[in-house]
Amino acid sequence: MAETASDRPVVAAALGGFTPDVFARHLESAPSWWHERKRAAYSRFEALPMPGRTDESWRFSNLSGIRIDGFTPDAAPPAGTAAASAAFSLAAPPMLTFVNGRLASRGELPAHLAAKGVVVSTLSEAAARSPELLREHFMAQPQKLGSAKFAALHEAFIADGAFVHVPRGVEVDMPIVLIHSASGAGTAVFPHTLIIAEDNSKVTVVDHFHSNDTLGQFACGANDLYAGHGARITYAAAQCWSLETLSFQFNSTVVRRDARVQSLNLHLGARQARHESLSQLQAPGGFSEMLALTVASGAREFDQRTLQIHQAPNTKSDLLYKNVLLDRSRTIFSGLIIVDPDAQKTDAYQSNRNLMLSEDAESNSLPGLEIQANDVRCTHGATSSPIDADQAFYLKSRGIPEKAANELLIFGFFEEVLCRLENEELHAALRDLVRTRLGR
Amino acid sequence: MSEITDTLETTLENPVSGIDQSSGNFKYDMTYDFDAGTGLNERTVDYISSVKKEAPWIHDFRQSALKTFFAKPLPTHWATRDLENINFDKIRYYLSQGQKPKRTWAEVPEDIKRTFERLGIPEQERKFLAGVEAQFDSEAAYSNIKEAVSKQGVIFMNSTEALREHPEIFRKYFGKVIPTGDNKFSALNSAVFSGGSFIYVPPGVKVSHPLQAYFRINAENFGQFERTLIICDEGSELTYMEGCTAPKFSTATLHSAVVELVALKGAKIQYITVQNWSSNVFNLVTKRGLAHEEAEIKWIDCNIGSRLTMKYPGVVLKGRKSRGEVISIALANDGQHQDTGAKMVHAADETTSTVVSKSISVGQGRATYRGVVHIPKNLKGCKNNTECDALLINTNSRTDTYPAITVRGDRHAVQHEASVSKVSAEQIFYMQQRGLTEGQAMSLSVNGFINDLARQFPMEYSVELKRLIDLEMEGSVG
Amino acid sequence: MSSLEIKNLHVSTGDKEIVKGVTLTINSGEIHAVMGPNGTGKSTMAKAIAGHPDYVITQGDVLIDGKSILEKESDERAREGIFLAFQYPSEIPGVSIANFMRAALQARMAEGEEIDASAYYKRLYQKMDLLKIDRKFTSRSVNEGFSGGEKKRSEILQMALLEPKFALMDETDSGLDIDALRIVSDGVNSLRGPNLGILLITHYQRLLSYIVPDHVHVMIEGRIVKSGDKSLALELESRGYDWVKQELATA
Repeated sequence: MAETASDRPVVAAALGGFTPDVFARHLESAPSWWHERKRAAYSRFEALPMPGRTDESWRFSNLSGIRIDGFTPDAAPPAGTAAASAAFSLAAPPMLTFVNGRLASRGELPAHLAAKGVVVSTLSEAAARSPELLREHFMAQPQKLGSAKFAALHEAFIADGAFVHVPRGVEVDMPIVLIHSASGAGTAVFPHTLIIAEDNSKVTVVDHFHSNDTLGQFACGANDLYAGHGARITYAAAQCWSLETLSFQFNSTVVRRDARVQSLNLHLGARQARHESLSQLQAPGGFSEMLALTVASGAREFDQRTLQIHQAPNTKSDLLYKNVLLDRSRTIFSGLIIVDPDAQKTDAYQSNRNLMLSEDAESNSLPGLEIQANDVRCTHGATSSPIDADQAFYLKSRGIPEKAANELLIFGFFEEVLCRLENEELHAALRDLVRTRLGR
Repeated sequence: MSEITDTLETTLENPVSGIDQSSGNFKYDMTYDFDAGTGLNERTVDYISSVKKEAPWIHDFRQSALKTFFAKPLPTHWATRDLENINFDKIRYYLSQGQKPKRTWAEVPEDIKRTFERLGIPEQERKFLAGVEAQFDSEAAYSNIKEAVSKQGVIFMNSTEALREHPEIFRKYFGKVIPTGDNKFSALNSAVFSGGSFIYVPPGVKVSHPLQAYFRINAENFGQFERTLIICDEGSELTYMEGCTAPKFSTATLHSAVVELVALKGAKIQYITVQNWSSNVFNLVTKRGLAHEEAEIKWIDCNIGSRLTMKYPGVVLKGRKSRGEVISIALANDGQHQDTGAKMVHAADETTSTVVSKSISVGQGRATYRGVVHIPKNLKGCKNNTECDALLINTNSRTDTYPAITVRGDRHAVQHEASVSKVSAEQIFYMQQRGLTEGQAMSLSVNGFINDLARQFPMEYSVELKRLIDLEMEGSVG
Repeated sequence: MSSLEIKNLHVSTGDKEIVKGVTLTINSGEIHAVMGPNGTGKSTMAKAIAGHPDYVITQGDVLIDGKSILEKESDERAREGIFLAFQYPSEIPGVSIANFMRAALQARMAEGEEIDASAYYKRLYQKMDLLKIDRKFTSRSVNEGFSGGEKKRSEILQMALLEPKFALMDETDSGLDIDALRIVSDGVNSLRGPNLGILLITHYQRLLSYIVPDHVHVMIEGRIVKSGDKSLALELESRGYDWVKQELATA
């Protein structure tokens, strides 16, 4: 390592532990259909620099916390690894459970859905059955939010992932639950979920990222959401990695004509987490609702970057990101709404609310707009404030003790996001996760 | 090249160091009927310092600023790349008093002349503003004002005079609110500054009338690298106004001013700017105030014209219960980019800041809001409220908003809101139905949009502003 | 004495023809009510006459005193004497009613002529008193945050100040409770006189018991299918529009 560093000091630092040797070993275990793409991705990863201090898309980020050395991809899970947490329970059994990136178990898709052509499989299976869909949708969208390097790393080292395909006109009446688990010290995982909802179809997918460890791990995940004409996708992700994990997650959402995508990201785990979410409203009538809830405690950092691009007229996007900050935690929200020159009648909204519960916590908000069409409705707002004293007083005046009053208000703060979910069961399950995380 | 070399030799034979320039009469055997030439190096700075008969510490200050300027990159990692089109070698950094501009009235473009006429600018001022005459003789008015305020102990002079005559007052704060290395352009100004106003208001003195740079228009004052420093001592109050709504027609393509304000305990400073540059100008200005305990600094800033304006007036809230405010209006027409905003740095408990920004984009114009609100750790009771509204007139007008808000701790309240709107076709039709032409309807709507801010300007400014907006809106419809 | 002639008027919006040949003459001093079910083209006709850019007149003509106004811009038509009282008046933030009306009156004066400010305010306040509008109203932004009743009173106030030859009143009764309706009607009645012709568009008869029309026309599917005096309105109120439709079908 030291020798390599002296030969190519800059490059070595930028590769961390993911050196060409490690990559070569990874390729041996990867299916051959994937090799070409993976090689190209690895070259991109090698060529791209680590984020720098003057890089606007990393403004306020703790760059020194992003060390990617010492992690092991393709690690076999230690014996007796539990694949899921008891805290998260939905009636529907998990369709796919991945441990350290590989399929560990699968549930059975109800017959009536299978009969209609709904597919829930691994990416490897999908590559064999419908390679054209993978070509069209897997990591096909641009990386615009600063992490092109890490997205390339994801593509180079991904072992497998989930593939959800809902044919035209089919409505899936139960949430499809996917579990991505990491186990063992220094483990690196590259979870992926690809959802394709064809025209006029409807589906709800839940990703649960999970680790029972208290160890340092590395998660570098991505998901691709594609909603065809008139389709509706509800996507929820519960990020419950170990509290020592370095986490990257890249989301891409493509919304076609009259389609609607609702995504909710719950961030509870990780030591340092970077989440990038890109929504492209590509055709008239499209609507993307982007929601996030974060509980930041200890000295953790949650760094969320979003981009709503309105590429067609009469499209709508609505973003609400809420953070609760405890202890010495930091959050960064950097959001941008772009309205292209011809995207008239755009209706775009972006809101970041930070609830400050500690003297030492720090919130950073960068809510941005770039508007190039005049007939639009665009607003954004950002607030950082403690529990509202008037509200707390009002509750107390009704006889509620201070602590209980504060808790009510904190959960009220969360509910505004959670209640946007139509699925009651999912709503309750996510709320329970938040309660558990807050220890209340 | 040879011109510059000649200049440099003369300068070197008249070294500034070693002479006590803070007292007595100075006489140099130098002729000033030439300028510093184009391009920038150490000798240009020597020359400027020498012409101004500056004290050694100012000369050193300039030279060190020049090094900083060369060392600093352009801020294009966040700012527009249009900055790369500035050719620093083609710029004239100092024009001495006697220099006659070479333009004649006949060469002034027709649209500029028409605008002067429409705005009702007096004949003599028109020639100055168009760059035909180097001096606008308003010395009489200026002397009266100066005399009136000096009875109260107020010092009001240009930067050269002030640094020479009152270093005991101005040196302490000069370059302290905005350090030389704050940004590339503040460094540039620190190296080559000339003109601008230095003001000191003694404790408890409330200056009843606004002081205006307008009274002292001359080549230097409307120069490219003004330097202004205002110090309001404890409990004093001052309103200062600079600029006017008339378009300043300039052949110089770079203007880079530095304005520093210091409000000591309980003092109040209101600084009003109305600028209307011609659309070939890069206007890159650094403005910041330092507010001590219970002091108040308010920037009222109106930017019209220029090719690119980058200006983010700021307040460092250093004392407990101090207040900072920025009121900003920007109008970007075709080919113009108004990149303006505010910077609020809270550095004491119970400090309050407010930002209200309204921008109008016409044609292919681009208006950008960029803001910083910073509340570091260990403070309590800080408040910021920011509101940015953008009005888009034409189909492809552009607006951007890039705020950055950092809040540390659970005892502050910070709120940012922004919206984008347009003048709706329904609104225009409604007014047309009442008999207004489309252009009149548009002007009325736009003036309505900024109405609550325009009211904060002194009466004559807000009237001029309205007239100016009417002019800018002409031909914007259809 | 003036006349507003609408001759075989056809109006389209988008690709759709809404008004399909309306002929109607309004003389000064007359009030014509145009009634009809929703979506039959009443409002479209009024907006087209006023020159709304979304509505295209594909055939026919509109004349004031024998001269066509169709080549004129909407503001020119307004200055010729057309006033449209909007069903949904626009809100104009930051522009006070006083300044707005002043600008509108100024636009009607010859070049170089200036409005007499004190006379203007005197007249403004007098009209406001008439319409029971609070003086504070003048400094509020045009229609911004106004209640339904306030918006309609603001329309009548503007009409009173601008003194049009012909007023096209589009669903003036919508959004008004009984008290507001009375105040607005009183305002209109006070403006009634030999110099003003009114086209009153309404869905309901109730407005017509306050503002009594000289003529009543029934408009269905873009055409005037029946005309009569004020008793026709009462008949419509009791028998509904289906009766006219049926009569049409059998005819």
